Amino acid sequence: MAILLELVLSGIMVGSIYALVALGWTLIYKCSGVLNLAMGELTLIGAYVCLTYYQWGFPFPLALVATLVTGFILGLATERLFLRRMIGEPILAVIMITVGLSFFFRALVGFIWGTDTVVFTPPVFPREPLRFFGMVFGQVYIWSFVAAIVLLVVFVWFFQQSRWGLSMQATADDEMAALSLGVSAKRVYALAWAIAFMAAGVGGTLLGNINGLNISVGYLGLLVLPAVVLGGLNSVPGAIVGGLVIGVLQNLSDAYVGKLTQGGVKEIAPFAFMVIILLFRPYGLWGWVKIERV
Amino acid sequence: MYLPSGVYHETYAATHAWWQTGFVRGKMALLLLFVFTLPLYANLYVVSVANITLYTILGALGVQLLIGYCGQITFGHAAFIAVGAYTTAMGVLFWGLPYPVAAVLGCLLAGLWSVVFGLPSARIKGFYQIMTTMAAQFITVDFIITHYVSRVGGREHYFSLPPGTITIAGWPVDSEIEVYYLAVILTILCLAGMANLLRTRVGRAWIAIRDNDIAAETMGLNVVYYKLLAFFAAGVLAGVAGAVWIPSLLFVSPEHFQLSWGLWLVGVILIGGIGSLHGVVFGSIFVTGILELLKFAIIPLSEFYPALSERFLYVKEAAFGLAIVLFLLYEPRGLAYRWQQIKNYLNLWPFAY
Amino acid sequence: MRRLVLWMVALALALPVVAGTGWAQDIKLGSLNDLTGPTSDVGKDIALGIREAVQYVNDTGGINGKRIRLYLYDYGYRVPEAITTYKRFRDFDKVAGVLGWGTGDTEALSPTVGRDRIPYLSHSFAAKLTDPKTAPYNFVYGTDYSSNARAAMTVWFDEVWMKDPRFREARSKGEKPRVVMFYGFPTPYASAPIKALKNHAELLGFEVGPDQDVSLVALDTKSQVLTAKGFRPHLAWHGNTTMSVAATIKDAQALGLGADHIVNNWGFDEGLVRLAGPAAEGVMGLAVTAYYGDKVPLMDKVVEYAKKLNPGVAQEARLIRTVQSWAQVLMMAEGMRRADKAGKLTGPGLKEAFETLRGWTPGLGLPPVTLTATDHRTGSVIPVYRIKGGKFELVKQVDLKARWAKEWDGEWFGY
Repeated sequence: MAILLELVLSGIMVGSIYALVALGWTLIYKCSGVLNLAMGELTLIGAYVCLTYYQWGFPFPLALVATLVTGFILGLATERLFLRRMIGEPILAVIMITVGLSFFFRALVGFIWGTDTVVFTPPVFPREPLRFFGMVFGQVYIWSFVAAIVLLVVFVWFFQQSRWGLSMQATADDEMAALSLGVSAKRVYALAWAIAFMAAGVGGTLLGNINGLNISVGYLGLLVLPAVVLGGLNSVPGAIVGGLVIGVLQNLSDAYVGKLTQGGVKEIAPFAFMVIILLFRPYGLWGWVKIERV
Repeated sequence: MYLPSGVYHETYAATHAWWQTGFVRGKMALLLLFVFTLPLYANLYVVSVANITLYTILGALGVQLLIGYCGQITFGHAAFIAVGAYTTAMGVLFWGLPYPVAAVLGCLLAGLWSVVFGLPSARIKGFYQIMTTMAAQFITVDFIITHYVSRVGGREHYFSLPPGTITIAGWPVDSEIEVYYLAVILTILCLAGMANLLRTRVGRAWIAIRDNDIAAETMGLNVVYYKLLAFFAAGVLAGVAGAVWIPSLLFVSPEHFQLSWGLWLVGVILIGGIGSLHGVVFGSIFVTGILELLKFAIIPLSEFYPALSERFLYVKEAAFGLAIVLFLLYEPRGLAYRWQQIKNYLNLWPFAY
Repeated sequence: MRRLVLWMVALALALPVVAGTGWAQDIKLGSLNDLTGPTSDVGKDIALGIREAVQYVNDTGGINGKRIRLYLYDYGYRVPEAITTYKRFRDFDKVAGVLGWGTGDTEALSPTVGRDRIPYLSHSFAAKLTDPKTAPYNFVYGTDYSSNARAAMTVWFDEVWMKDPRFREARSKGEKPRVVMFYGFPTPYASAPIKALKNHAELLGFEVGPDQDVSLVALDTKSQVLTAKGFRPHLAWHGNTTMSVAATIKDAQALGLGADHIVNNWGFDEGLVRLAGPAAEGVMGLAVTAYYGDKVPLMDKVVEYAKKLNPGVAQEARLIRTVQSWAQVLMMAEGMRRADKAGKLTGPGLKEAFETLRGWTPGLGLPPVTLTATDHRTGSVIPVYRIKGGKFELVKQVDLKARWAKEWDGEWFGY
């Protein structure tokens, strides 16, 4: 029983990071309709950029802020260079642009930073585990969880209260109406990409702090897809819940289903789950029920 | 369609002929001659690059059928190639079947497997279809094949076929040149078959579905049936690719059939041109040949910057990713369209009006 | 822009440069390395070491006056790429021998290598490669994974379980020691010794817990560690490479697994200390040679060449892998010298030359190598190390053949 609880809790903690990255994904989709398959590579880039700043001697909070700034700039550049021309193109073209970008970004990361696992030295979070009620938690998980929650709250506030967030919501809701009210759609798209880059950067940094960083962090970007499908593609709370559920699901399936198979369950469970959702509720938990059917 | 003056067709068959003028027939004969005599004057390295190109053509053909002609987006094609390759290998290794029989079995099974994952296409399309085919990839390759199929017969993680096990009518197929001829013949057969299939009722139905599925249904087409037929045909083509893959390496492992290979094939047809058989060929040649040449191109540069050759695989992948993006941005109709333009230009030259 | 792209394509087409043809006196040696794949953390150090060692061989007289010309390619730990590169070695570079890398690709190439009769000296020590009946042209320069795993388990059993006061209570209650294994199920390297390890666990009276699947590039292993924790193990075997072993050991500490760790040789180096930090303290594992900078014969040359040829790489960043690649290159050079002296520097000649090695060692802490035409295992004496204060200290050397003579020559061969 204690093990079950530990599995669930640690799943939630990793899931909170997935949620953060999934949020960035949803944002892009919501605002500009781009289905982004390069999210994992954005995570990778963010994580490596932060690590580089940290190794240059920046204190961690400063490195994180610098990562956010870098992510912001990279996001604007990516949108301007590659995606602005693709507005209104067929879905395959837009998706394949992001696939092309994912090949390009991943190779770029591999080329620049190599493929070794690298760790944040000295460690940002203390290594000693904490004990509550007989259960053991790594501090790094708790801090990642806290950081993810804080950022989620900030994002939600941004959308519901700030001027920019409101104009993004307006564009997502009805682009024509937003344009006629003086919202610049181009700026909104650019901002969506910038924020997605930032969210992915923080997610990647937190993941990198857990056990180090290598190119397989990019794989986690694919896990975002089941998360957003579960939540409904365009729902912000859906992305958060989806991320948490995927984190827990991975842990539980590995622990309980893994015994019955010859391995590989942890990697495959989110996708099998996704197929089930697609069969029965393709619009997810809170997505718009306007999916195009045949 | 361009025809020089003075060419008259007297029968319907003649108007439907693929090669209508003596010049075109001569050109194609020369091409065939070149293709079949290549191993005589090219070294083994060139032949092995040619083999990979042919394998890419066979793989991309199925993707082209689904995406380019039937409008069904697939990111999991590598899984179907894997099914073909594994079935063929197991047929030869465990069940003692002759290679051609095992290959036919592999093609059929790959086709059926493809239909299973094509079933959701009856209800969903677009992004959701991409997700389904991606899940097919993970479930088939990363789970079933990696963890179950690979361990059949106590062979851990891969099947390695001893040299000399693959024979066609008594001839062993295990050197590059023999594989080359096998691949060339199969590629020509598949390309010709596809080209003719697309002119039949079935092919026209696929194109109708691609252009507008609702309109196709109102025309009385059974959309689901034709979609599944497209998945089956694409799966069979993937099976052919898988069967060709085995003798060239005498070895199968799940690593050959990762998600990135399926994405790579989609990239190939994007670069070549969607909805064009020329595109499949040009895209494959571009992606395999040009990226191989890149290796030679960076040798002089690596004197100054050694990381270029040490991390060549990344350079290659980055070039591929960038090629997809640039083609989509600047030449969305691909190399096939560019080829058409060049041909038009030459046909009309020197009086281009 | 469109024109620019076309020009770039044309340029790429025009640039192919025919590779140099090489000189007749050189002996060509191919090397397949991982500089960009999941094992590149150790692969890069190996590649540096191979270049340095070849330079050393050429500086000290080469192969009876002939120089070794090295063709070193990256294959990213991808088996298909390895096979393509091997074909390049065979058909294009026409090498005399190949220095190989991973278990997956070495085993995959084994039948082809046997047919082409090109000796293949790999960094993979899978036991299957040591049986000349099935893999006649495959050679290794250290003890195989299965024997390593047996040795590590034996040492833990003898030195820790039987002696450590932590386990006195459990021993007195007649409890069996419990072991779990963390390794990548579909990774040939990681799963190669598992069968032997389970067999050995039975031999020593261990209880074996549920195996845990950890991928080579895993960064999050909590669910595996928590599942293993349900079994309350005393000992954990880690069969992966440094990256994921470090992740697992750190998670084991963070989640309070409370077991001792033993690690296979590709997961046990200076990198583990760097990545896992204090969590690596007390971890036991295997090493093929002495560690970089240890006081053993010839180490001065290793350090000298490392400083001379790769001054840009910090000394602290060099690993035991450099030393291992020296052992590999020197063994290849020794074989070539013997073959050349016999006038048969061909594939079969080199194979026969290797099989004349009796108790040969270049120094470097490599246990003596004895190869015969019927047994390609290099020896049965296996040292086991422990991390103490961030340094490696020898715990004990086990001689498996002395202890289990019947099994060593019988069922353990090629297991």
